[in-house]
Amino acid sequence: MNHLPQAWGRPRDDVYGAYDNSHFQTNGPTTHTQSPIVTGTSVVAAKFKDGVVIAADNLASYGSLARFTDVKRLRKFNSLSVVGFGGDVSDMQYLDRLLNSLDIRENYSSTDPENALNAKNLHTYLAKVMYKRRSDFNPLWNHLLIAGLDGEGKPFLASADLLGTTFSSPTLATGFGAHLAQPIMRRVIPDEAAVAGVSKEDAIKLVKESMKVLFYRDARSMDQYSIAVITKEGVELKENEKLENQSWEFAERIRGYGTQVN
Amino acid sequence: MDSLVAQYSRPMHAEEGQTYEDQQELSQMTPELSLKFALPPVASSASWLRAMTDDYSNPNCPIKIAHGTTTLAFRFKGGIIVATDSRATAGNWIASQTVKKVIEINNCLLGTMAGGAADCQYWLAFLGMQCRLHELRHKRRISVAAASKILANLVYSYKGMGLSMGTMCAGVTPQEGPALYYIDSDGTRLAGNLFCVGSGQTFAYGVLDASYKYDLSDEEALELGRRSILAATHRDAYSGGFINLYHVKEDGWVKHGFSDTNPIFWKTKLEKGEFSNVTADLV
Amino acid sequence: MAALFSGAPPQGGPGYSFKQTPTMAPSGERQHGFYPYTDNGGSTLGISGADFTIMAGDTRSTSGYNINTRYAPKLFKIGGEGPDNKGARIVLSVVGFAADGDALKERLDTIVKMYKYQHGKPMSVSACAQRLSHVLYNKRFFPYYVHAILGGIDEDGKGALYSYDPVGSYEREQCRAAGAAASLIMPFLDNQVNFKNQYEPGSGTGHDLQAKVAQPLPRDTVESIVRDAFTSAVERHIEVGDGLQMMIITPNGVEETFTPLKRD
Repeated sequence: MNHLPQAWGRPRDDVYGAYDNSHFQTNGPTTHTQSPIVTGTSVVAAKFKDGVVIAADNLASYGSLARFTDVKRLRKFNSLSVVGFGGDVSDMQYLDRLLNSLDIRENYSSTDPENALNAKNLHTYLAKVMYKRRSDFNPLWNHLLIAGLDGEGKPFLASADLLGTTFSSPTLATGFGAHLAQPIMRRVIPDEAAVAGVSKEDAIKLVKESMKVLFYRDARSMDQYSIAVITKEGVELKENEKLENQSWEFAERIRGYGTQVN
Repeated sequence: MDSLVAQYSRPMHAEEGQTYEDQQELSQMTPELSLKFALPPVASSASWLRAMTDDYSNPNCPIKIAHGTTTLAFRFKGGIIVATDSRATAGNWIASQTVKKVIEINNCLLGTMAGGAADCQYWLAFLGMQCRLHELRHKRRISVAAASKILANLVYSYKGMGLSMGTMCAGVTPQEGPALYYIDSDGTRLAGNLFCVGSGQTFAYGVLDASYKYDLSDEEALELGRRSILAATHRDAYSGGFINLYHVKEDGWVKHGFSDTNPIFWKTKLEKGEFSNVTADLV
Repeated sequence: MAALFSGAPPQGGPGYSFKQTPTMAPSGERQHGFYPYTDNGGSTLGISGADFTIMAGDTRSTSGYNINTRYAPKLFKIGGEGPDNKGARIVLSVVGFAADGDALKERLDTIVKMYKYQHGKPMSVSACAQRLSHVLYNKRFFPYYVHAILGGIDEDGKGALYSYDPVGSYEREQCRAAGAAASLIMPFLDNQVNFKNQYEPGSGTGHDLQAKVAQPLPRDTVESIVRDAFTSAVERHIEVGDGLQMMIITPNGVEETFTPLKRD
């Protein structure tokens, strides 16, 4: 213990070694997933009065390369809920296998459809998996949206990310969508109270519009996408939709890029 | 061979989620003060912890732990005086002005707190438990030497893990008389007449050394402890708040208040004429 | 002991709490690629009175400049019956990294419920407070990145409030603000709850001034102090806003209120 007041009580270099900033580095060699390789971009979702709409495009990028163009990033779980995956595709496929085995086990242990895992249960489970993995410093590099109905049959939409952080909101979007799609959707559905006034058609239109805007501006997106509508009646999943009524007119008014400067 | 078979015959995700042990541990309630600590799954946990918490080397570190203190204790003919300030700082932020830095281990043993607040609170509570167990096993009070050695051995076993504490154990026992030990997280354990610990130690030593002698009366000793902390709170930015004063005697410790430094400062200045570096004029 | 992190005033430019990863030159070998913490912003506060404790927190959850959601509660009832914690008398607030906060809440809730099963009586706040300290300290070498405040009613029927640092040092206090806007709210609380820098009117001038002595405040006063603290914090901190969740703990139970805050 020396006489320098600020240093007192802090770890000393001669005991603990020099302060090592490398712990804050976000790259470097280890055996765990330290950065995603093949990635999917945004997932967007919005609640409406009887359910949830969720969409994600079918692209898996390899860095800036649009590598795989038919990767389905929405996954149905026991015909009650849908999970949307953003982030690493290999970890998505791992989670897919995990959910498969969970589904099989659930089917063995309970035959009562009333007690089947609903979206809320699924979200809790996935959030724990994600948090456990981050605590092991071996994260699943995904941002998940879980859409469906909760135990009382009300629309349920929540997210879980690679750190295990969870939150729920009437509209959610991951990745680039958090910047671009969320403001658009929040204008229509500003809070939980507004959900009751949104019809299925409105919600689908809103999500499709968001997907279109994302395609315009997200360089890692494409125009083929999957969209799912979850209601009491079940899951209606379409995996080969194409963006309609695109208009690139706005591009004409953009100035200042490339060789054309004004 | 079995483990090899097991590794490939079970799906990879069989290990996912909470383990059976984790769940058992939760439902069975681990003992309150345990030595089972969760460690970060990295090669060098001490260096990782330091990167996260050392706000001196890196002011932007995410987790800031409280530091900065003046604590003192000295032996004299009437027992032991223990005095501390009460400020906790995290970087430049004063996290609290009302910290109890004298920890009452039991009714005749006191510990002081400098360095990591949580480390001191936890390990002195743990020491309290060990002292009580010693009493139950041996049907007599533990000596201060033994108590301080339990603590020193404990923190020494965690050396290099990132614990940060500088503590003094003070107590009076029939066999030892007034006994005072200094223990820190490096594993040091020293017996002595007089110790000051913390960022304000130099200022406290200055005042304490000038007037200290073993034959102080109780009143003189209390006043000396108070005045030494006051000097430290005046000159050390990381010390301040209240003066916490204790007198340890053979039949246990006596608390002599938790008093605001500000009125004491002005009383010392205006009535005794000390601190002439400070003006008393209001305009 | 106390508010030991993220409450620090800006040092060297506008330091928002999410500016977490230091960008200094790397030293030595590079090993780790994963940073397990994030800051979800927001602020919490607690004030205890003669026979009640009020806990409050905003409901915004952020990551960087994004708002994750406008309603993510930071206040949790601890103990009681079932998943809704019916009949609970203890409230925990956590601010910092939300996932760690949830994990901590679930751990403490399980402990308090197990205590009731095993001892046949509900856990007292002081016992719960010490247990929370130990739960936090058990992660001393891999801390929960949270600042917790625990509120309840003690065995004498008085309001009790305990505040914690990330590794479990704790202290019983009259009031405490935590989180992103702690450095904005805490000085206000010092003045309005503990009457710091307030003097008895007419007690003289200069050195004759008598400091005003703090005493427990009535409930409606405390409620308005809480509201003022948050409406002010919303004006000056980008991570605070959307909604104010308040839990008022009295010997009769926990009342919960929600007030909208500015959403900009």
